[in-house]
Amino acid sequence: MGSLASSSLKQESFRYIGKKTPRKDGVAKVTGRMQFAYDIYLPGMLYGRILKSPYPHARVKSIDTSEAEKMGAVVITFKDVPRKKFNIRLVSVDRVNYKDWEVLTDHPKYVGEYIAAVAAETEELAQKALEAIKVEWEVYEPLLDPFESMKEGKPKIHDKILFGNKEVTVKNNIACRLDYNEGDVEKAFKEADVVIERTFKTNRRYHMQLEPKVAVAKPEPDGGITVWTTTQTIHNTRILISQVFDIPISKVNVKKLPIGGSFGSSIQTNLVTLVAVALALKAGRPVKIALTREEDMYDHCSYQMYFRLKVAAKKDGTIIAGELENIMDIGGHQIQAYPLLGCLLGWFVSLYKWKNIRYKGIAVYTNKVPSCAFRGYGNPQITWAVESIIDELAEALGIDPIELRLKNYVGRGDLFWGQGPTVKSVVKSDGVPELLKKGAELIGWYNRPKPGEQKGRFRRGIGLGRGFHTSGAGGRISGEVIDFTGCILKVNEDGSVDYITALQDHGGGTLDAHAKIIAEELGVPLDKINIIWADTQTTVYDVCTHASRGTYVGGEAARRAAREVKKKLLEYAVRLLGDVVNPEALSIKPDEELGQGVIYVEGMPDKKITVGEVAREAWQRNWGSIAAVVSYRATSSPPAYTVYFVEVEVDTETGIVRPVRVVAGADVGTVINPDLAAGQLHGGFAQGWGMAVLEDTPYDPETGELMCRGFITDYKIMTAQDLPKVDDFIVIFANTHEPTGPFGAKGLGEAALNPVAGAVANAIYNAIGVRFYELPITPEKILKALKEKEGKK
Amino acid sequence: MGKVIRFKLNGRPVSIYVENNELLLNVLREKLGVVSPKYGCGIGECGACTVLVDGEPVLSCLTLAIEVDGKEVTTVEGLAKDSELDIVQRAFIEEGAIQCGYCTPGFILMAKKLLEENPDPDEDYIREYIRGNLCRCTGYVNIVRAIKRAAEELKFHVSRAKQTQ
Amino acid sequence: MTGEKFVKPIKPKVDINKVNTHIIPFEFEYFEPRTVKEAVELLTKYGGEAKILAGGTDLIVRMKQRFIEPKYIINIKKIKELNFIEDRGDYLAIGAATKLREIEKSGIVKRKFEALYEAVRSMAGVQIRNMATIGGNLCNASPAADTAPPLLVFEAKLKIVGPNGERVVPINEFFLGPGKTVLKPNEILTEIQIPYQPEDTGSAFIKIARVAMDLAKVNVAVALRTEGSIVKWVRIALGAVAPTPIRAYKTEEFLVGKELNEETLKEAAEIVKTEVKPITDIRSTAEYRREVSGVIVKDALLRAYERISKG
Ligand SMILES: Cc1cc2nc3c(=O)[nH]c(=O)nc-3n(C[C@H](O)[C@H](O)[C@H](O)COP(=O)(O)OP(=O)(O)OC[C@H]3O[C@@H](n4cnc5c(N)ncnc54)[C@H](O)[C@@H]3O)c2cc1C
Ligand code: FES
Ligand code: FES
Repeated sequence: MGSLASSSLKQESFRYIGKKTPRKDGVAKVTGRMQFAYDIYLPGMLYGRILKSPYPHARVKSIDTSEAEKMGAVVITFKDVPRKKFNIRLVSVDRVNYKDWEVLTDHPKYVGEYIAAVAAETEELAQKALEAIKVEWEVYEPLLDPFESMKEGKPKIHDKILFGNKEVTVKNNIACRLDYNEGDVEKAFKEADVVIERTFKTNRRYHMQLEPKVAVAKPEPDGGITVWTTTQTIHNTRILISQVFDIPISKVNVKKLPIGGSFGSSIQTNLVTLVAVALALKAGRPVKIALTREEDMYDHCSYQMYFRLKVAAKKDGTIIAGELENIMDIGGHQIQAYPLLGCLLGWFVSLYKWKNIRYKGIAVYTNKVPSCAFRGYGNPQITWAVESIIDELAEALGIDPIELRLKNYVGRGDLFWGQGPTVKSVVKSDGVPELLKKGAELIGWYNRPKPGEQKGRFRRGIGLGRGFHTSGAGGRISGEVIDFTGCILKVNEDGSVDYITALQDHGGGTLDAHAKIIAEELGVPLDKINIIWADTQTTVYDVCTHASRGTYVGGEAARRAAREVKKKLLEYAVRLLGDVVNPEALSIKPDEELGQGVIYVEGMPDKKITVGEVAREAWQRNWGSIAAVVSYRATSSPPAYTVYFVEVEVDTETGIVRPVRVVAGADVGTVINPDLAAGQLHGGFAQGWGMAVLEDTPYDPETGELMCRGFITDYKIMTAQDLPKVDDFIVIFANTHEPTGPFGAKGLGEAALNPVAGAVANAIYNAIGVRFYELPITPEKILKALKEKEGKK
Repeated sequence: MGKVIRFKLNGRPVSIYVENNELLLNVLREKLGVVSPKYGCGIGECGACTVLVDGEPVLSCLTLAIEVDGKEVTTVEGLAKDSELDIVQRAFIEEGAIQCGYCTPGFILMAKKLLEENPDPDEDYIREYIRGNLCRCTGYVNIVRAIKRAAEELKFHVSRAKQTQ
Repeated sequence: MTGEKFVKPIKPKVDINKVNTHIIPFEFEYFEPRTVKEAVELLTKYGGEAKILAGGTDLIVRMKQRFIEPKYIINIKKIKELNFIEDRGDYLAIGAATKLREIEKSGIVKRKFEALYEAVRSMAGVQIRNMATIGGNLCNASPAADTAPPLLVFEAKLKIVGPNGERVVPINEFFLGPGKTVLKPNEILTEIQIPYQPEDTGSAFIKIARVAMDLAKVNVAVALRTEGSIVKWVRIALGAVAPTPIRAYKTEEFLVGKELNEETLKEAAEIVKTEVKPITDIRSTAEYRREVSGVIVKDALLRAYERISKG
């Protein structure tokens, strides 16, 4: 199998949790019957296409749509949509939300920004109509570099934008900033035995989720609108549509659909959804807009960051200061730049106990594709930089990198504020020592070569990266982020159970985890739990599936709902069983043979009744439905820790790096679904490996276009042939229990990626003795660096 | 300017009018209601639109519909017999080879064909064979496992079938 | 607005409002000739407005990207006389519309022309190789075309048929520049003739790319005959390092008569670097391509040499 899952003793007593179970949507997915947004076709539906800016920064002098209209197309331009600015992401509370977006604009700030849109009977006709629109442009000097952009006298990418309800003026293209100080770093730097200062530059990656964004909007006779779209949050999409188009929330219905990957690219409501709504409202008919891959690549990417990082330690390995300057190139609009400035600080201070901290974060507008969250939300970026510099520190101090980490990391009992300064808690579960120990053994850590000591052409190296991600964004005080969820659970008249939640499953199996939690808590067979594809009209609010909160927060809501339902079931069972004194005398367990949950009195085999019988009787005797509605806010967002040991082989003549072996260790508390959890680590590694050595979206300095022009011919992601063999990829889980999580569970999705690039960078250093401060570490850069190193000798 | 083409779709004969410039992917999805082949790039890079034409895996996003006149087209909709899942489909579920599932139909068709060509593939062979299919979720580990498992099960079936003969 | 400077009109390299890879948003007439003659007649009739469709893996992509908008499409896949792999005594003949997958499955190619086999195996993925043809790869004339270097080292000849009959062109005269060949608009490449090499020839192909399914940053093929360890005869060709695939004549010349040892290989690598004229693009840098050209020529020579020794 190549994977060792160490299951905790506690899990042995669980019926479903920690057990391998086939995913509920598996059959639909392998038979092609799973309906994605892209698969929605409605009667009378029109096809939409969007007119995009060919220029990185321009203004529309005039636009002529008459030819397109003559072709029978429905056309809208920036003149036909509400002009009040908004933010396409609603996760932050309104008062701290920067708003600089419009549905369609006459002042595009990046190549690909939306100007107008058409809808017609066929996609071909829509395309022809689109090409018939004539625009006269005024073109400005594009700013593609954040440092250029911040200089005095440069074109203004934005002028007036909104912060909450207040209008603010943007200066020097600085979108927002955040500073933080704790202790006295200057003093610490002076007192330190070792101080290291480095600058880092990350890549600008594209999510490359397999399904490009799609939206279908259908106007309803009551003036409302129904929407099918690729989103991580149906409720926020609904509220945004309501706000932008001034339609009562009750008349907007957003359907929940499976999503063909997302990785953060649809935490915000992708603008295409609003364009589809605008077109449908104008046309009075359903409109579908499916972005092409090229358009999708001009729609979202990761935050590109420039760090200056300065750290200090005492001889004995005690870290005493950490200073971080973070310049973020956010592209043409703000999606979550401001909260990210806070989170980035949160990731930074929660990695290691710096003691004295100084942080300066600046988000800068450029004429590039707007950045948004990408699995880890800045955490992979900062973890790469920190894990690189921690290794440098270890080397300078002559301390083993594992030891240095163990001495200084934020772990059990420490104050943790992963989600930024407004959300603090104390760490209660921590598997880091266990993972580091086991991982080191499995990879052969203590036999690894010394950096730069190998001779031959092919050199191997082993690297370590350690990190974490929060489980959700909850906390004790309300803070600046909305984070709560909810669900409805009802027992049907035959004892089957409907689980209705707005929470999205991106494919990681979040909802399968919930079903197991419900089955475990309720005591009914897992296959009795039915996950409903609901919509905003039939669910209670969930903020969004992001921040690895699905299992931790959503799972706890499901567990609470199950507990309520169970209470009612037992009450009814008492009535039906006659002489049982009270519900506490009863237990429920699943009986797989009967295919039912059985309610029984311990030690009295005759005193029993199935959940199905109770449900049926409650129905037949007019007792009412057995159901619960739960809304749940988590009061902490504990860290899920991950540790990667990666062995690489560098061909010093071509600069090509090959992944040889991987040990991926995760502390996710109780492992609810070992299979799917391992799958997160496999996928996280593949993305992290791409981040480390391959992926980037450079821009054409002359035209401001993407160099790859949106074609994935030149935005490569790893194929099956580029990754380690099955037996060379070992997954381990720590034996921990998170007291605040459902059955002791925490999140995983993002933690699975965060330390990978750091581990790879450290492995490359271990192999060839050269450190890289810019991602991706391509063969071109490696070869060049090796040549320079040789030249110096 | 197009014409009526006749072909077999998952064993069923169909005839339909198509324009010269229509792509097989869109005709299957929009005119014939077969939506398992997905659009992922439209330029041959991702494999999400894979279908079998006369038993060979090809990319429907780069195939003119008019070209399949007289041929046989198979998609995953055509794999399960009498609502019983194919061995490959089952293996994908059992090995956790599915996450978002958008890439899954393409991979399953490739796995089917792979095992037909080579019932005893080693891992290198499998990885080479599926490199034209991108998956952003799984890192391919469980997909490779699923194909290995399906190979084992097929072998077992074949040897059992031989024994019972 | 204050501070906003005008710049000279920017000329985007791609019209993003025209590209739509969901569909082919323009009409064309479509033909399925059954003979080369018919196909040539159609080409002659429609001149530059017509395009041959083989596997379509270049053509359809370029149509979707709107780089070309042919009015007439002439599908040559149904022409039986273009689809074959045939032993003709002195040479192996491959029909231009033969699919890459068939070439890779052909035992004779694998045995006799290992560099070509390796090149084909390195290309795209199974689905594309099931569609793409060898003729398409050559006629598309990408500097990175993977079948070009092996065919260059085997000194293949290309049979071309036009309205005035046929002509045979040595492959090293076939390419003129990116996307440009000696083919006239009304001509068709019909077959590739690859001379059999003496039994003691070893050959190899190496490609450097970003991932396993990718176009080459650099590719190289070599074919080699030796006496003991002395080079008797050698051919080297590289792709993606010049406007067309190229032969490394100087390096070949240098190698003949030399003993294949580390020293020689090192020098050969240096000479290769002077023969290539790479550019920087999104796939790689000129500097890297130049450097690595030398490395993989050396590696390919060694691999080919091992193959001779093994027989
Ligand atoms: C995802 C992907 C991966 C790829 N990977 C590689 C790779 O690794 N290496 C590589 O080299 N290429 C690669 N390619 C490019 C392409 O697949 C090959 O060049 C292929 O061999 C082209 O053949 P075809 O039959 O599909 O050509 P077509 O697209 O049908 O034709 C290409 C051009 O040649 C002309 N033409 C075709 N046949 C003839 C003929 N007989 N006479 C005259 N003109 C003709 C056509 O009119 C057209 O202009 C890749 C393409 C894609 C989409
Ligand atoms: S959609 Fe056909 S290969 Fe990507
Ligand atoms: S499962 Fe999501 S792309 Fe493969």
